[in-house]
Amino acid sequence: MTLHEKEMRAVYAETLNELIEENHNVLCVEADLSKASGTNPTVIGKNADNFVNCGVSEANMIGVGAGLAREGKIPFCATFSCFASRRVYDQITISCAYANNNVKIVGTAPGITQGPNGGTHMCFQDLAIMRAMPNMHVYSPCDVYELKAMMKYMANDKQPAYMQLIRPKVDKIFDESYVFNPNKAVVIKEGSDVTLVSTGYMTQFTPKVAEELEEEGISVEVLHYPSVKPFDEEALIASAKKTGAVVTVENQSIIGGLGGAACETLSEKCPTKVRRLGIPDRFGEVATEKYLFDKHGFGPEHIKEVCREMARK
Amino acid sequence: MKEEFNREVFDKRANEFRHVITDIICRAGSGHIGGALSLVEIIITLYYRIMNIDPKNPNMPERDRFVLSKGHAGPVAYTALAYLGFFPKEWLPTLNADGTRLPSHMDQIQTPGVDMSTGSLGQGISCACGLALAAKLNKEKHNVFCIIGDGESNEGQVWEAGLFAAHQKLDNLVCICDYNKLQIDGTTDEVLSLEPLTDKWRAFGWEVFEVDGHDWDDIYNKLSQAVETKGKPAMIIAHTIKAKGCKGIEGQAGSHNIKVADSAAHKQYMNDLEGEKVALPYC
Repeated sequence: MTLHEKEMRAVYAETLNELIEENHNVLCVEADLSKASGTNPTVIGKNADNFVNCGVSEANMIGVGAGLAREGKIPFCATFSCFASRRVYDQITISCAYANNNVKIVGTAPGITQGPNGGTHMCFQDLAIMRAMPNMHVYSPCDVYELKAMMKYMANDKQPAYMQLIRPKVDKIFDESYVFNPNKAVVIKEGSDVTLVSTGYMTQFTPKVAEELEEEGISVEVLHYPSVKPFDEEALIASAKKTGAVVTVENQSIIGGLGGAACETLSEKCPTKVRRLGIPDRFGEVATEKYLFDKHGFGPEHIKEVCREMARK
Repeated sequence: MKEEFNREVFDKRANEFRHVITDIICRAGSGHIGGALSLVEIIITLYYRIMNIDPKNPNMPERDRFVLSKGHAGPVAYTALAYLGFFPKEWLPTLNADGTRLPSHMDQIQTPGVDMSTGSLGQGISCACGLALAAKLNKEKHNVFCIIGDGESNEGQVWEAGLFAAHQKLDNLVCICDYNKLQIDGTTDEVLSLEPLTDKWRAFGWEVFEVDGHDWDDIYNKLSQAVETKGKPAMIIAHTIKAKGCKGIEGQAGSHNIKVADSAAHKQYMNDLEGEKVALPYC
């Protein structure tokens, strides 16, 4: 089976095994959601000595991760994104970021990909709140190749970092040659009428949206941000100068995440009209993806419509 | 480096520490004096008689680790670190001053000899579990010592760590609870009762000791026994007196964090110290 035929979480777990085999200091740390993260049985079955289950104690998991990291371990601490960010925000702030302890935090099932767990579990603000934390990198991979490259980078980097992890199988955007650089956005497609900016899950949709708009005669430049912090300001400014119109789309609240980073950058350095798509200031709910896309207006058809509007301006 | 016990020397040192702690907090204009003074004998015993540490090599891999989970008691640990030579004693009066390397709460980046940044209560004991687990995974022989507060024990994270340490059989972890029975808003019984505290930790699967936290022999003996515990972590419930040795505020909840309005108040606090007056080492 090729990599992109696998679930994202399967690749997360297999990559952890590879990293552990390369460097025994890499650890898989869980909080009773190892089956959901895909690491049980994949990691526990193969590298039981590098697997730590903290039980349903996310605060303690972050502290344990910090202590392990202080001793040179490289813990990947995973749980649902709601618990990996907002539930333990102070623990991550002090024990990891403030102390500069090299913990890798993995927020699984981000945004609407949480599905039937609904409003209590759908976290729309993890990119925003994690981005507001000093000394924290914030990543959101869009496919298996990027996920794998990102994890390799994280295991070799001494920087505390937060990474979103979509769990199911998703379409291939990149290939084996992909190299992750947190300081660089990826230009997926060049264009001249409007810049379409996305991160993580929404990059599953933007290339196709651009292709279809091209057939209508609208030239869309597609930028993908694997890292919302650090945020590649130069790439966005260069594209905004070219197109004069920017649309951001993310599987997150429109407040403070990718759209926020884009607006902060452009308003100070290259004032440009921006439309932010994502979840407006609302909680999640038990619903299908289509229902949520329609309700909040950030599915492929909505993105297209907004790009058409922006390209006309 | 471990020092032979000599009661006279240790009593003198404890008195000197209390003068330094009180003075540097007064110079700063405010500070957490109560929970620093309650720990003087425990900190001295740990740093001078129990822990394997080397001021010349603060990151020595085989050193014992220390986490002051009640990070606000920083001044007592800073005093020990300065007297042992981890940094010059001249740093002590810079407590909380602009640009200081001795912030009110412990900071592993700023201060030599500090193994973990703490200050947000409940977190340090989890971090200590991580340090202890790393030692186990690396098959290293050193121990991890961690001091938590009684008020801090209101935090759920303390009990998460309690479950974890017992489950992981972290017998290289020795925790001490500074049980002075006072927290900011009143007595621990008034605010959020911890009793029966010893039974709770025992029920969590820890080896539990009770100690008079101002008795040199008792502290040393119980710490030594705690270090020898096999198969489970050890908790020492240390009965202490908040602001011990400073008459005006000893045993009062208000000693948690004092405000020192002016030099007259500073002088008053220094005069309130029970022991013989000492010449401060940085004046």
